[in-house]
Amino acid sequence: MSNNENLLSIRDLTIHYFTDDGVVKAVNGINLDIARGETLGLVGETGAGKTTTALGIMRLIPDPPGKIVGGEVIFDGTDLIKESEKKMRHHRGFDFSMIFQDPMTSLNPVLTVGDQIAEVIRLHDKVSRAEANKKAADMLELVGIPAERINEYPHQFSGGMKQRVVIAIALACNPQLIIADEPTTALDVTIQAQVLALMSELREKFGTAMLLITHDLGVVAEICDKVAIMYAGQILEYGTLEDIYNNVCHPYTKGLFGSLPSLNSRVKRLSPISGLMPDPANLPEGCPFHPRCPQKCEKCTVKEPPNVEVTPGHFVRCHLFDNGKEG
Amino acid sequence: MLKFILKRLLVMIPVLLGVTFIVFSMMYITDGDPARMMLGDLATDEEVEALREDMGLNDPFFTRYFNYLGDLLHGDLGTSYSTRQPVSTAIMERLPATIKLAFFSCLFAIVIGVPIGIISAVRQYSIIDSISRIVSLIGISLPNFWLALLLMLLFSVQLGWLPPSGLYGPEYYIMPVISISAVSLATFARTTRSSMLEVIRQDYIRTARAKGQTEWVVVTKHALRNALIPIITIVGVQFATALGGAVVNEQIFGISGLGKLMVDSIKARDFPVVQGGVLVIAIMFSFLNLFIDVLYAFVDPRIKSQYMRGSKKKKAVAASAAAGEAQE
Amino acid sequence: MKTGTAKKQKKRSQASETWKRLRKNRLAVVGLVILALIFLLAIFADVIAPYPYDQQDYSSTFQTPSAQHLFGTDNFGRDILSRVIYGARISLQIGFISLLGGAFVGCVLGAIAGYFGGAVDTIIMRFNDILMAIPRIVLAISIASALGPGLTNAMIAVAISSIPNFARVVRASTLTIKDQEYVEAAHCIGANNFHIIKRHVFPNVLAPIIVQATLGIGTAIILAASLSFLGLGVTPPDPEWGSMLSEARTYMRDYPYMVIFPGLAIMVTVLALNLFGDGLRDALDPKLKK
Repeated sequence: MSNNENLLSIRDLTIHYFTDDGVVKAVNGINLDIARGETLGLVGETGAGKTTTALGIMRLIPDPPGKIVGGEVIFDGTDLIKESEKKMRHHRGFDFSMIFQDPMTSLNPVLTVGDQIAEVIRLHDKVSRAEANKKAADMLELVGIPAERINEYPHQFSGGMKQRVVIAIALACNPQLIIADEPTTALDVTIQAQVLALMSELREKFGTAMLLITHDLGVVAEICDKVAIMYAGQILEYGTLEDIYNNVCHPYTKGLFGSLPSLNSRVKRLSPISGLMPDPANLPEGCPFHPRCPQKCEKCTVKEPPNVEVTPGHFVRCHLFDNGKEG
Repeated sequence: MLKFILKRLLVMIPVLLGVTFIVFSMMYITDGDPARMMLGDLATDEEVEALREDMGLNDPFFTRYFNYLGDLLHGDLGTSYSTRQPVSTAIMERLPATIKLAFFSCLFAIVIGVPIGIISAVRQYSIIDSISRIVSLIGISLPNFWLALLLMLLFSVQLGWLPPSGLYGPEYYIMPVISISAVSLATFARTTRSSMLEVIRQDYIRTARAKGQTEWVVVTKHALRNALIPIITIVGVQFATALGGAVVNEQIFGISGLGKLMVDSIKARDFPVVQGGVLVIAIMFSFLNLFIDVLYAFVDPRIKSQYMRGSKKKKAVAASAAAGEAQE
Repeated sequence: MKTGTAKKQKKRSQASETWKRLRKNRLAVVGLVILALIFLLAIFADVIAPYPYDQQDYSSTFQTPSAQHLFGTDNFGRDILSRVIYGARISLQIGFISLLGGAFVGCVLGAIAGYFGGAVDTIIMRFNDILMAIPRIVLAISIASALGPGLTNAMIAVAISSIPNFARVVRASTLTIKDQEYVEAAHCIGANNFHIIKRHVFPNVLAPIIVQATLGIGTAIILAASLSFLGLGVTPPDPEWGSMLSEARTYMRDYPYMVIFPGLAIMVTVLALNLFGDGLRDALDPKLKK
């Protein structure tokens, strides 16, 4: 799995929140790799730990109560977990940047959109205020907003427009990696398509790698090269787009696909996954998915399944597939 | 923007009319015969009656009220019963001291209180935070006149460092300003802290951090400007508190300001002066509140566009902001 | 029947949840304990106070604090400790009665204004604007001066001056609640306005009112003490803390201990109320907790 060409390699990343009511195990030893220019889809239900993973990479976990307990986040050869806060500030917005879920709240209401784009430019490129403003205007045009709106405030824009501004901020310094945390969830369906199209267009233009967090398998199919299925802070299945879509292994992934309505098989009833995501403060023993799993066996309730490579590059964390190794 | 200000000025007129009516009725129902008071016990009943007629005291209530209003329009606040001086002269003589006291107290409270609140919020749960929270809790629990007495006891009586009364130079301001501003200072610290804590949790703060911005700029540029609305809201209330504090503290520090004039006049039952004083304070306060409403627009572009549109939503925004900390 | 009990249970659990959170807040508990002690002092003043509050003793005026007179004696030889204890009665009385009175009127006005809107709203809120155009203590001073000094008049002055804040807070909350779906639902099943205000609007604005009231009692006590200090509220020989300070001020130069204790009493009482009020606010508003 390890590969020197990887832009980002996450190894055994573990993030916990220490609250009054106990330890919330949000992320439990995940492994991910993103090559340069590649798009990885991180898929899972609400509360699976996707956003925590993203904030962990950015080292923006609210602390207290959150803490990165262990693991490595190797970006371009350096372990971000060990970086000083000062160095991290140079990385953020410059080497990698983030697009947030809710454009309505992720822009500062009292600053003009131009100021907010120019801010990140001035932080990382040593340019004059005028040059930064010029570049901010260019960025606005790039994301499809007329440059003359540069002095307007966020409340004067619609949700989709705001997300375009957020994208402009994220791309302003031409980072190598973009982390997009459900960038279209809060938007109308028609706007979602526009924003997604814009993102993949710009990503291809600049050759930027992307970690796309979503719960929408349709979106994943459209723009991702690789897919990781996350559940209760673990990666249950991980592989290329083809691996996941044409050779589904994990019962949970199957369940996710079963929850999708499909035109081809309209007559059939949907087969949703029963039950709810376990409380991350109180995870079940063994495989975290076993209480909801239709194919569970004795072993699943006591022993955590190993990460099995079913075909090269296609990893599954399930006892159904560990026969070959542990018999 | 100008239209908004004009509209607010128009709304101020009925409010101030209401103030004159309420104050006038309050003084009307008060017992006492100013004519008898002015002439003394030696005057005959006829003389008193003649003066009553002369002063219009025998007219029905509304006639008297409208006469009073008519005089007001000419800038005539009436005549003091005890000094026979125009009320406006007496008030103008005393007003500057009170305004200075209230202004410096408010300024002191903001300059010290707001930074304490910011530090407290940024270092939530730290020792500095705990200390400043407890001290500001004590601060809002202090009766200002008691603090004034204690300060005087220490700095004038015991140490002899500061002059106990009057207002003749900078050193005379120290004790009154501290005791008047204590409550406001604590309130500013508390409001700033809670407002900053609210803002720091917002998504756009995370966005700023994700840009690689330094914590200092995140706090001072991104958080503070958003936290400012509730702080500005209480500036008005705190100025009123400072005015009230000045009224009491002028008494203690022997400062001849408007507050002392009013309290002395109440005791002397010199009601035209009291009426005039209340009205002048209400006018000042109303203008201050208008100024604060305009200030909102400069801090928050959303409020500005609401003003421009003349929408009524602004009231809800300001009200909900004010509801947070309506301490006095 | 079934829904009724369910509702009651929910209400009880809400109150007990609040209480549970409140109990965890150490400062709030300290405030509550101090408050309870002051209440006990006020109720049992006759038993606890070593001397009657008005017992003069010209042979022992201006006694500095001693075993006999823990807080010393005043210019009439009265025991300051006893007067401070009896003073708790007056201050708590003023604080609670005047504030509850003002809060009641303010809440009713605010709820009516917010709920009905239109002309009613305009009239009530204009009146409110007028009261708010006068700084609170100046308003209280003018009312007190019109009514004349005395305990009842001071309470009325403080009560009236506390109306506007409540009216404004309740109106704002009512406005937001009015448009909620459950209120519309109540309209649809034909509930009358009074019933809706009582059953749906009021319980939901209760939390901000309770917090405002707890913190407001402290302000009311200080306000009343200020009036008395200026000679416009409770007058001697009644042992009101503010008026005691006013008397003590005359002798401050030579007998500084006289100004210490009445002021301390005000501060401790108000501090206890503020500690409790702060805790209550946090407990009623769990979203503020992480």
